[in-house]
Amino acid sequence: MLESYFIVLMLGIIYGFFVGLIPVAGATTGLIAIYSFVTFFQDPYMLVVFTTAIVVTSSIGDSFCGVVMNIPGAGGAAATMVDGFPMSRRGEAARALSAAISTSWVNGLIWGLAVFLFLPWYTQIVLYFGTVEMFTFLIFAMTCVIFVSSKYWFRGLIALILGVLVGRIGEDPVTAADRWTFGWDYLGAGVQIIPVMAGLLAFPELLSAYRMKAQNIKLTNGIIWGQLIEGVKDTWRWKWDGLRGGLIGGFVGLVPGIGGNIADWFAYSQTVAVSKKSPDSDEVPVGKGHVRGVIGCEGANNAQKATSYVPTVLFGIPGAPFEVIVMGLLMYVGLELGTPAVLADERFFDVLLSSYLWALVIILPISYGFIKYAVYITSIPFKYYFWPILASLVWSSTQYTGLLDDYIMLAICMGLGLAMKYFKFSRVSFLIGFILSYRLETTYVQFNTFGYGWEEILFRPAPAAFITLTVIAAIWGLFFNKAKIDFV
Amino acid sequence: MIKKMLIGVIAGFSMLATTAFAEITVVNPQKPGGGTTVWTEIIMKELEKHLGERIVLRNIPGARDIPGINKFHNELRFNENTIVVTHGGNGVSFLQEKVDYNYAEYDSIGLMNLNIIMGKVKGADMDKPKFAGTSGAVPEAFAIAMMICGPDKSIDYYIDCFKENVTWVMGMSGGERRLAFKRGDLTGSRENPATYQIHIAPDENAELWFHHGLLDPATGGHVDDPNFPGAQFEIQFEERYGVAPSGEFYDAYKLVKSFRDGLQKAIWVNKGNPELRDRLIDAMNKMVNDPESMAIIEAKNGKYEWFIGERGNQMRDTLMTFITEDALRNLVKFNKEALGLKSILKEDLFPQNR
Repeated sequence: MLESYFIVLMLGIIYGFFVGLIPVAGATTGLIAIYSFVTFFQDPYMLVVFTTAIVVTSSIGDSFCGVVMNIPGAGGAAATMVDGFPMSRRGEAARALSAAISTSWVNGLIWGLAVFLFLPWYTQIVLYFGTVEMFTFLIFAMTCVIFVSSKYWFRGLIALILGVLVGRIGEDPVTAADRWTFGWDYLGAGVQIIPVMAGLLAFPELLSAYRMKAQNIKLTNGIIWGQLIEGVKDTWRWKWDGLRGGLIGGFVGLVPGIGGNIADWFAYSQTVAVSKKSPDSDEVPVGKGHVRGVIGCEGANNAQKATSYVPTVLFGIPGAPFEVIVMGLLMYVGLELGTPAVLADERFFDVLLSSYLWALVIILPISYGFIKYAVYITSIPFKYYFWPILASLVWSSTQYTGLLDDYIMLAICMGLGLAMKYFKFSRVSFLIGFILSYRLETTYVQFNTFGYGWEEILFRPAPAAFITLTVIAAIWGLFFNKAKIDFV
Repeated sequence: MIKKMLIGVIAGFSMLATTAFAEITVVNPQKPGGGTTVWTEIIMKELEKHLGERIVLRNIPGARDIPGINKFHNELRFNENTIVVTHGGNGVSFLQEKVDYNYAEYDSIGLMNLNIIMGKVKGADMDKPKFAGTSGAVPEAFAIAMMICGPDKSIDYYIDCFKENVTWVMGMSGGERRLAFKRGDLTGSRENPATYQIHIAPDENAELWFHHGLLDPATGGHVDDPNFPGAQFEIQFEERYGVAPSGEFYDAYKLVKSFRDGLQKAIWVNKGNPELRDRLIDAMNKMVNDPESMAIIEAKNGKYEWFIGERGNQMRDTLMTFITEDALRNLVKFNKEALGLKSILKEDLFPQNR
């Protein structure tokens, strides 16, 4: 039995690292691609092992694209390449990669232990988290998505509303009647999440990567080992930048919906700000190829992935877009996150903790030992990845009914994704609105049915805290957030 | 292990092709991971052993699990080797929604007559219960209304009494409902027998409230569940009010609970396909007499009686006798006015129109 788990873990590690290396692929696309094979996991805990390994190792792999190719890694995150690629051009690619891997790894370990070791105890929180707490938490999460995640907050708001409306197509939870289906029976059970994720998020990025001009850097054996050691030393030297990045990533992961890109860029911007106060006179400034720029944003990487499991597991609310897929996959094998059955399942938590830690431990020597070959993988022209990835997206998106309707829905989502990217309407905001819409509506219905009002919102500790945070997030996002991201 | 994984991958890629050449295809109205899907996977795996043929699951999901069965009815049932699985929700939809399927046109292979068990928070005032409502919980709403409002009142009285006394909370998923019950936000909850043992029985703050009982197709009456003796709704009601429940509202309750629980999980084949029907019934009989198979099935679903072949048809025929014009009218009226559901009155189901 144990050896079966180990084999699944290794497969997940290799697959995750590989999809991490592919430009713009990353955890989300990698997880969508395995949707069609989910039923082959007879033991649900094996799927926990497999998905966790993918999440951990894809984060390590996605640094390579930015550093070596000057192409954003997973999900369009580009912070690493700002300083990573100039370092590569100077012949310091291995140093940048080593610093990125070690920083990401250390923060992954710290935050992974903080989350997964104590997650079973955090489940007690759920018992104090009733309708009012959930309602205000959702408001807070959506506010963050609008005002913190994008430079164009008004377009973010529109995108979020659109996402909520699309998410509410299907069955009215109160009357149990069809809603906004326009006579198309296919929509009766709602718009499915996989075509939305694949068409809206993955496909436009895939197309962008296809058109991007990659620049390849080659590594030679002579300089690699020295640079790898130098990169580890850099991680120690600039440890506070890495740990600050981890802290930012850790916090961002706890708030549903504001995913890795926000954490990376925010951590990067803080590193830039701090570096201006304490410049390193011997080296180039951050932003022009300084290793601190790599360390600052990579600190947030795995930390954010670890903490995003907290809302996902405890409340069934995805802490990041990739967690939507993790939730969906685990639901297929009977593990519905956020439910008492899973919260009381000690084996689930044991498997989650051990697979996270083992994946982290195993990927370290792999990523260092195969660094040259990993760089080689990134040098394979993207056109060779494009078609297999596209095929896997289409395949996964059309497993709902397998009929023409699935293809039509995917085409609609792809068109919408391209349009939103072109006009800079935040697709992440849309997605979060889409995902949270059901909880938002049903929680609002419950709020009214139980007869709650302003009194409960303002005078219960947790709801009052969420409302305060909501106001702070809105004001900060509107007037003080200098790190707002032009990423949609 | 690697071999198994490779076989799985290959099987995945060839899924569409194999469906076309499968020995038997079972249409399932849910997507993978759904309750009925899991049930069907367990049953079909055991059935295959006794049938000696491969059975392939074809999921056709859609709104309230109706489109898959409609598709079976309109098209797939005419395929020589295609059968369908239905669940209790389909039975309720048959009564109050526009659907194409009609149980009268199929032969029963086998069905499991299940029960729904109600739990309550210890010491809670169950004359003012807080309960998670869904479209699938209509029988619970009827039972609660009668339990609180007493025997033999008019439909309008029950509607007013229900609205006044019951906090019927819509929009809760199973997980949310269980958490809310654990927190005490809800004072009542419902589970199937297997999930009752997982979620309510071990909870020291919860206890058994009542259950709906099991339909005896031979008599048309509901009998106590040996797994939860003495807690049947009718028994509890009589203990409280000194008379057995009766009247037009009770008839509507009996109708809707029987269509849900009596057809909780059922396997059907189109009428006029005796060769496939007999083959499957034979395998089904072997399955229920195989202690190993039943141990696997009961571990997941609880210990409930199977009605195979003619006994399944008898169950269906008994259920149809419960459909009266008054019962249907009262069902739809209560759904609309007390629960806010958009049910429709299906006049074509009235006995005089069938």
